[in-house]
Amino acid sequence: MSPVISATVKPLAAMAVAIGLLAIGLAALGANPAVTLTALLSGAFGDWLAVADTLLKATPLVFTGLSVSLAFSGSIWNIGAEGQLLFGALAATACGIHLARWSHVAAISAVLGAGAIAGALAGALCGWLRTRFSVNEVISTIMLNFIALQAVSWAVHGPLMEPSHSYPISQKLPAAACMHWFFPPSRLNCGLLLAIGLAPACYFWLYRTNSGFELRAVGRNPRATAFFGIAAGPITVVAMALSGGLAGLGGAVQVCAITQRLFERFSPGWGYEAIAVALVARLNPLAVVPSALFFGALDNGAQVIQRTQGVSPVLVQAAQGLIIFVLLAFDTPILARGRSATLPHHKQPADA
Amino acid sequence: MQNLLEACAITKHFGATVALDAVDFSARAGEIHALLGQNGAGKTTLMNILAGHLRPDLGTVTLDGVAIKTASPQTALRAGIAAVHQSPMLFEHLSAVENLALGGFVRRGLALNEVAERAGAMARSLSFPVQLPPKNLTGLSLAQRMRLEILRALSFQPRVLMLDEPTGLLAPGELSGFLDLLRALRNRGCAVVFITHKLAEAMAVADRITMLRAGRVVDQTSPPQTTIEQLAALMLGNAVELARPKKSHRRGAEVLRLEGLSLEVDGVALVDEVSLRLHAGEILAIAGVDGNGQRELAEILACSRRPTSGQILLHGQPAGARAMGQIAVVPQNRDQEGLIPGMELWENLLLSPALRRQMQTAGVQRRSAAIALCSVLLKRFSIRARSPRQKAADLSGGHRQRLMIARALASRPAVLVAHDLTRGLDVSAAAEVSRIVREFADQGGAAIMISTDLDEVFGLGDRIAVISRGRLFEVPTANLTIERVGLLMAGVGQHR
Amino acid sequence: MLDAFLSSTISMAAPLLLAALGELLVEQSGLINIGIEGVMLTAAFCAMAAAYATGSIATGLGCAIAGALLMSGLFAVMAVNLAVNQVVAGTALDIFALGVTGVLYRRIFGETGKALTVRTLRGVFRGALARLPLVGPALLQQNGLVYFAFLMVPVLHLVLYRTRWGLKLRAAGERPEAADALGLGVYCLRWQALMISGVMTGLSGAYLTLGYANTFVEGMSAGRGFIALSIVILGGWRPVRIAIASLLFGAALALQFVLQAVNTGLPYQLFLALPYVLTLVVLTILGGQGPVPSALGEPYVRE
Repeated sequence: MSPVISATVKPLAAMAVAIGLLAIGLAALGANPAVTLTALLSGAFGDWLAVADTLLKATPLVFTGLSVSLAFSGSIWNIGAEGQLLFGALAATACGIHLARWSHVAAISAVLGAGAIAGALAGALCGWLRTRFSVNEVISTIMLNFIALQAVSWAVHGPLMEPSHSYPISQKLPAAACMHWFFPPSRLNCGLLLAIGLAPACYFWLYRTNSGFELRAVGRNPRATAFFGIAAGPITVVAMALSGGLAGLGGAVQVCAITQRLFERFSPGWGYEAIAVALVARLNPLAVVPSALFFGALDNGAQVIQRTQGVSPVLVQAAQGLIIFVLLAFDTPILARGRSATLPHHKQPADA
Repeated sequence: MQNLLEACAITKHFGATVALDAVDFSARAGEIHALLGQNGAGKTTLMNILAGHLRPDLGTVTLDGVAIKTASPQTALRAGIAAVHQSPMLFEHLSAVENLALGGFVRRGLALNEVAERAGAMARSLSFPVQLPPKNLTGLSLAQRMRLEILRALSFQPRVLMLDEPTGLLAPGELSGFLDLLRALRNRGCAVVFITHKLAEAMAVADRITMLRAGRVVDQTSPPQTTIEQLAALMLGNAVELARPKKSHRRGAEVLRLEGLSLEVDGVALVDEVSLRLHAGEILAIAGVDGNGQRELAEILACSRRPTSGQILLHGQPAGARAMGQIAVVPQNRDQEGLIPGMELWENLLLSPALRRQMQTAGVQRRSAAIALCSVLLKRFSIRARSPRQKAADLSGGHRQRLMIARALASRPAVLVAHDLTRGLDVSAAAEVSRIVREFADQGGAAIMISTDLDEVFGLGDRIAVISRGRLFEVPTANLTIERVGLLMAGVGQHR
Repeated sequence: MLDAFLSSTISMAAPLLLAALGELLVEQSGLINIGIEGVMLTAAFCAMAAAYATGSIATGLGCAIAGALLMSGLFAVMAVNLAVNQVVAGTALDIFALGVTGVLYRRIFGETGKALTVRTLRGVFRGALARLPLVGPALLQQNGLVYFAFLMVPVLHLVLYRTRWGLKLRAAGERPEAADALGLGVYCLRWQALMISGVMTGLSGAYLTLGYANTFVEGMSAGRGFIALSIVILGGWRPVRIAIASLLFGAALALQFVLQAVNTGLPYQLFLALPYVLTLVVLTILGGQGPVPSALGEPYVRE
């Protein structure tokens, strides 16, 4: 099979297998799989508002999906897009509520910049801890996810709490810091365009620049790159900063384009879902966009089936897990020995 | 005499290549059977099949006339077939005794004291010195590791013991003791299968000889009936002329000078005050047993390690990081350090810092230029590849080696450093890469060859030096003999 | 105050310790199971569901173990037999478990959960002794799982360093291809390690519902599996140090309740974040010390 065909066929087949397994699961739960899956489909694409909603649900997934693709391409296991997104949203809110007097463009830029920087700092911290203290990045990024949850909770109960102090939500962002909604009642906005524009940028960085090459090379064979004088440390920190920055930017976009404020349970797990998004895209930033659209549709459809079929939308998480499993199984090195799989060869961070 | 182990019509394919083609092989109790052949002839594959690591596509293995059906190391060991691998299969972070305990000294429970006692007794009965460091194996020499592995293999009380290139890691002085060990094992009634490509060793010790070439048995003979010359002709097949490169006599200006280069790690001098001068047109061969600082020396020259003291001068000037691009290094281990098998050929070229600098503008890769360069190199060095966009993993070992050399020479370096240039290459491929290096020197380049293989050292070097415990000793051409180099490698007769 | 703190430190440490010891075996065999969080969550759900349905705590424990074994088996197929990337497979297991337990929970118990409760495990010792100040609540009023967890510390030490199986396990984690060459059966050893860890993580998950919460909340493992992973690193892959590290994290978790009870004026989120911050800080100070199994996390394909 040519690489291009196998790169398209495998994810599609994985999704088909996962949906099949899901149907079996639904049947076991007593729901009619055909009806449920049809409802899911019409919930995602039933009319133009549903399509618009699917696009909106896909937007944060493009950001986090790119974030994960970038890090995983260098065998840096950033499981922390969730926390980085939350830090980004927190910083964006904290910054945005003070910008009522700013011009629209300046305020939006400041809000997005704040989000990206906060996410980048959270990411870079984990990259630096791995480089300098050999702290496993899987653990450190997950710990920051939990810390971010508590930070958001503290912010919306404390300093950022809305003026009446009756609900655990932040103040609303001033109009200057909010993105314009096109075609009301839909909430379509520039955020998706930004996300789609970033995908080729990430691709370019990863596959056309020296630093992107260094990241991929370090991820695949750290001994060879060390021998040829490519230091793993700096590129790890840079990649984690970029990865975190993308996720943080996603959080900021979500705040100023959709929610206009911060609250507890801000993210339904976009950072974790991103792993499935990135793997389905086989870590290719360009493929992250369609992959995110697929998962956005799944999320959107799932909310409909909750209303109509009484099936919990967390079903989508079960589906995500299944899709990752099936994709991994398709790429098993048992069958294709020596062939390149989706993931670069995994190496533990610098041995102690 | 009755055959103890018999392999009939063993065939094994790896993808499209035929590793073994209907090979018959047998071993008798109380004999040493040498299995000879070039690298890639299928010796190791045959051993792996007999030891149960690989399943043959066709053919049967019988022990005492009973077929061994399921291929697994467990069944082979239980039946009495043990193997000693080319690179010792030991556990670095377990203690020596724990390593032995995984063998067959004590089959149930974990009586480490008893294991140590029995292992000691066995080693003494074979007059076979073995060290058992209490913590882990770090610091044990390769020869000592090989002994540990042999002892562990013997603990299964095998009826057939197979050893894959066991002498490659020995210092020249340790060889005769090792051959005595093989004889001792034979005299105990063991069937010893001795896999080697060193014909003299086989002639010295073997009772029978089987020669493999390209996966087929080409001859079965025994030492009195043959000579080294006959064996060499058989091994090489259609008489590849072992083109010894002509020695260069032109000696140009000084290119590289190392002054008191040292590398200390945890108080141990891995590289100890190494000084040398290298002139254009010269090849300096550095011989040494692995683990004596040559790897670290190569790393320092590749600029991936900073020496603790000393300096490197290029054309008489202290070499800064940028000038170091003038030294191109071919690392020892192709797949672990030299290449990224999962990346494309042209991308592998860009691992070289000099090429990476050349093939970029403001941090953006000049991709088409790099691919074009790769095409040119593939042609110039006759590397068998479909296109520069192929993955390095798809090339055969010899062509991967050529790719590394092509990469090193593509940046037009002043100095080429190659570590184990011909390791794992068959004779003709080895001759070809040697020729490339000689050509580089003839055109005014300066080269350093680091090798354990004395044939390579003597064949290629204009000057010869020996590295031992991090110290470099140049051997004056006047008293240059294999014996002298061997003694120096073994750490005898060093003086500054 | 102090006795409540000590007592809840030990009780908080126990599930962490159980999970970490299970993970220790798995890591000694050369695998890293990030999915331990999902295994724990599944076990917590199974324990709750079974105990609620039957009213029997023993059945709850049994089902918790069964659920955990199922999830560990799924991971084993992926990581051992299919040799896929372990970090990604483990993360998928976490996501999958979160989804499956969520769907089942809402399906069986409805959207609200209606404050379902089950009986909890009771202390083993009663009577005068258990009422001793300090020592009583901390050491003698705990339930059986706590004693089991701490008993496993010397047991695992002996198993790892004084038995042939332990040596074989360490060999498999050190250099699987060499272990297979000696006929040790790496796949089998790794499956065994994962199954034993399944039992221990199952008990650990059951502890969350039957030990202190007496109900199930979606995502209630709240990162305890990940903390257990860090404990293995902090403990330098040695059982006794792992026990000490577990107590440290138990104390951090217990401190939340103590400090929330005392009005410190500090935001409570600070205390909730404490165990996670502590993990980061301690890993930074001690990170990656000890004999890391050399083949840890490397996919291994038998020739």
